[in-house]
Amino acid sequence: MIGVLSSLSEDLVAIVAKAGPAVVRVEARRRFPASGIVWSSDAVIVTAHHVVEQEDNIRIALSDGQTIPATLIGRDPATDVAALRAQVSGLTPPVWAEPDSLRVGHLVLALSRPGKTVHATLGIVSALGEGWTTPVGGRVDHYLQADVGLYPGFSGGPLVNAEGHILGLNTLALLRGIPITVPSPTVRRIVEGLLADGRIRRGFLGVGTQPVRLPSPVAQQLGQETGLLIVSVAPGSGAEKAGLLLGDTIVNLGGQPMRHMDDIMVFLGDVQMGTKLPIRILRGGRLRELSATVGERP
Amino acid sequence: MATVLQELNVEMAAVVEEVEHSLVQVNSYGGGTGAGTIWHPDGLVITNAHVVRRSPLTVSGIDGRILPARVLAYDEVNDLAALAIDASGLSPIKLGDSRRLKVGQLVVALGNPFGVRGAATAGVIIGVGPVWPETPGVAREWVVVNLHLRPGYSGGPLFDVNGRLVGINTMVTAPDIGMAVPIHVAKKFLNDSLRSQVVA
Repeated sequence: MIGVLSSLSEDLVAIVAKAGPAVVRVEARRRFPASGIVWSSDAVIVTAHHVVEQEDNIRIALSDGQTIPATLIGRDPATDVAALRAQVSGLTPPVWAEPDSLRVGHLVLALSRPGKTVHATLGIVSALGEGWTTPVGGRVDHYLQADVGLYPGFSGGPLVNAEGHILGLNTLALLRGIPITVPSPTVRRIVEGLLADGRIRRGFLGVGTQPVRLPSPVAQQLGQETGLLIVSVAPGSGAEKAGLLLGDTIVNLGGQPMRHMDDIMVFLGDVQMGTKLPIRILRGGRLRELSATVGERP
Repeated sequence: MATVLQELNVEMAAVVEEVEHSLVQVNSYGGGTGAGTIWHPDGLVITNAHVVRRSPLTVSGIDGRILPARVLAYDEVNDLAALAIDASGLSPIKLGDSRRLKVGQLVVALGNPFGVRGAATAGVIIGVGPVWPETPGVAREWVVVNLHLRPGYSGGPLFDVNGRLVGINTMVTAPDIGMAVPIHVAKKFLNDSLRSQVVA
């Protein structure tokens, strides 16, 4: 009789065998290599932005041992995703799973290929949440964290579910060493953007701000406690052209109250470049209305 | 009816209990302790070389006895040592095949961390092979495992879900990364060194 312990062990081995061939080695930095995932049969490879330290002489190693040159299609530091094109044809992309059916507690594996063979670590889904914005302003569709060990070379590799399908791309770089998985919808959106434009276009106003408490009469009038004090204005930006000045406090942008540190960045993430936005500011104790044109983040 | 998790617990406890009969504690001069694995019923124990550097040595954990141990063979490069103790009728561990280990496979390690006898930690095989980034020393063959080894596991058994020995727990290189000497390396060590002793 085969016990459940043996069955579990065999299932784990089968998952690695199923998803492993889509995991490639990415040689794009001087120290040891990292991992990547086959995206499409025409040899698009996704990996983590932070492991691509050189843009020339990138090499990819496949599961069959072949090492082939690759070029950088584009990268998005804000979500830590990069897309490469390997000079090979006929790759088999893995199945990417949507995170909808995933629950905290599910068993998952992290795979990598820092050497010739695929490597695996096991854990459970630790946290699963709504969309979030990374510290550098990338919108991620779900917060997905597993307690899988991510060791040198695991960044850019996949998190894999019990069916052997890819849940997303693992990285230690988005949240200062905390293992995070960029979920498949985000990877898809970023790769499609990189294939179309070579970069991810994000809105830019051109102000540096910090949150400040509003004077109480203004706070009462607006129904918000805080606003964003302008501490820098980028030369030539939409903010400068709109006449925003150091010392102004932004309280509203495009009809949305601006209260916290990331509010502007998060808001601009969904705004088309060239859009004209109304801005409400507090200057010299009085509320004023200006308008600014959204540019592209450099 | 038992859930799968309950069945897993029962089976995991059973395989740990079975292998525990083959686990010993190796005590070296000065109070250092490690683990050892019974290889042969007539008192052959395999452990790490780094566990037996300071003599005199004793082995405990068999019927509450403390037995003097003699180093039969020693291999600094592969970090292996064979000990002889004056005992018979011991429970040797079943031998597995470390060449057939698969990435993702479940394995369990036993040892005596900080003198706690028969502690267990389980995880999956991360990888197997000689080429390993960040491994100290020469390129050697390793079984690399995603489990929580601590001091005192050294020399103890790493085994599969059927209780078959696949490695000798040897060191930790990162949190929750354990490195074990594959059992085919240990077999070769015993064959080579014990045969040469007989010939000599």
